[in-house]
Amino acid sequence: MTDPLLDAKQLSMRYGATVALHPIDLSVGVGEFVAIVGVNGCGKSTLLRALAEVLPAAGKSGVVRLHGASHSSRDAARLRAFVPQRPDLAAEFTARAVVGLGRFASAPSTDAVERALHAVGLQGKGDRLVTTLSGGERQRVALARALAQLDGAERPILLLDEPFAGIDPAEVARVVTALRAVAARGAVLCSLHDPGLARCIAHRALVLREGRVVADGPAANILVPTVLTKAYGHAMEESKSWIVPSLLPEPAPFR
Amino acid sequence: MLPRFFLLSLVLCCAALVRVALGPIGTDEGVRLVLGVPSADIAQLRVLSVVSAALVGAALGLSGLALQVLMRNPLASPFVLGISSGAGFGVACVLVLGALGAFSSRIFFGEAIGAILGAACTLGIVARLGRATDGQDTTALLLAGVILGSMFSAGTMLLEHLVPHGLRGDLLSWMSGRLPEIPNRAQLATLAVVTVLAWIVLARASKALDVSMLSDDEARSSGVALHALRRKLFWTGGVLAGVAVAYAGPIGFVGLVGPHIARRLLGPHHGLLVPGSALAGALLLVSADAVRQVLDLGSGRLPVGVVTALAGGPAFLWLLRRGSGR
Repeated sequence: MTDPLLDAKQLSMRYGATVALHPIDLSVGVGEFVAIVGVNGCGKSTLLRALAEVLPAAGKSGVVRLHGASHSSRDAARLRAFVPQRPDLAAEFTARAVVGLGRFASAPSTDAVERALHAVGLQGKGDRLVTTLSGGERQRVALARALAQLDGAERPILLLDEPFAGIDPAEVARVVTALRAVAARGAVLCSLHDPGLARCIAHRALVLREGRVVADGPAANILVPTVLTKAYGHAMEESKSWIVPSLLPEPAPFR
Repeated sequence: MLPRFFLLSLVLCCAALVRVALGPIGTDEGVRLVLGVPSADIAQLRVLSVVSAALVGAALGLSGLALQVLMRNPLASPFVLGISSGAGFGVACVLVLGALGAFSSRIFFGEAIGAILGAACTLGIVARLGRATDGQDTTALLLAGVILGSMFSAGTMLLEHLVPHGLRGDLLSWMSGRLPEIPNRAQLATLAVVTVLAWIVLARASKALDVSMLSDDEARSSGVALHALRRKLFWTGGVLAGVAVAYAGPIGFVGLVGPHIARRLLGPHHGLLVPGSALAGALLLVSADAVRQVLDLGSGRLPVGVVTALAGGPAFLWLLRRGSGR
């Protein structure tokens, strides 16, 4: 692996007396699609927020380096984007306007906005108010904002917390295609509740339990019943009864 | 949206002309003033009154916008942070201390200084409480403002009983929200400078204000220095409201309704919302000032704060009913 795109050292977080994340070292290189799985409250969101450097200063420790260096928040925003578990909007913006907000740290680009809307299948709904969109569509608007933020970045880093929440299977397939295209040039880390979907789309898996990494390696080796049974504290088994979306084999031509 | 912006500006100009035409010397004379028949002193006084109303309205409109963005709550207004009540308490303190002979008339600082000190104290306390929550918990700020406002209002009522009867009228008049009949040019200049500076501060931050409408995590990861932006909003909104209240007393609802009118007309982008809120605030107060010129209840003209409260109360309820404008 070449120099890591994202390198975290001794990343930890505590809320008062509660330790949400024990010290974690993590390196992610070019071309990696990393799935973060684990039970509710195991620290997936905290880890992603720590990597995105959006956690409050109190209780946080550790260092995050992007492309081998520390950056100001504005410079970092040109290299990595983050979509939290619950995107929010306190104004009556159109979908296109929200996606355009992703260009805050970079030069405005209508082409980037249109490409991002197209990548998540919302090219026909850019002029709709976000408040009039469905939950899944709003989630895709948030993803498009992150894609627009990284449009033009040579080696983008995308951090996503439960990116497929509320999105129907066909659109999941479309979004996965867009994310794979980003991962092909940079790296994608996303938390997922569904280990089956994680195994379908990720190269590497990180299993968390009680704020600690209990397994880290190739998704095909990690996301198996024996490891997951320990991680979830519940018997897990292979199944062919779940229906999952067919995923396109090749990345879409998203730049 | 630009044509609507110019329409708003045009309506403000019309309202200003109407206000110049109206006044205690009679409408006919006022109209002659507009048509160019000079009566230098009266013309100057009325123009100053219009400028005074427009500046106070603009300051309140900008303050309301800053506080609404700060709290991510379209129902926030300068009054929510208790600034008006704090300023009122400051004035009451000055009047009581003056009545008790704490300082002579030569070194009497005046109501304006008391109002500014009261507003500054309120801001300081709310800011300190806000820091206790890392400045991120807008609900804590909101509650702190409401509670402080109630405490300062109670304090003002208490002090009202301590001032002599002659001063009690002044205090009550100021507390109703009134534009000075004869504007003080120095105070007006101060208000103008503060309003323009605040306008510039907010206009320069307009793109960051747009992004701050996203969730905090999204805004931060997009490159917005959210903590610094919120500190800027807090002090800009607070100082604007403090200066406006010091000049004209607590005038309700302009800071709340002004930004809403601007949003309805100009959309959610702060590039237009910042000047739009100032214009809408100015329009509201100039119009209210014009309305009070023609309302004669036999005991003199109403304080402009009464007019804005009578018109703004239903507007507030309407906003509340339509889901906080969202």
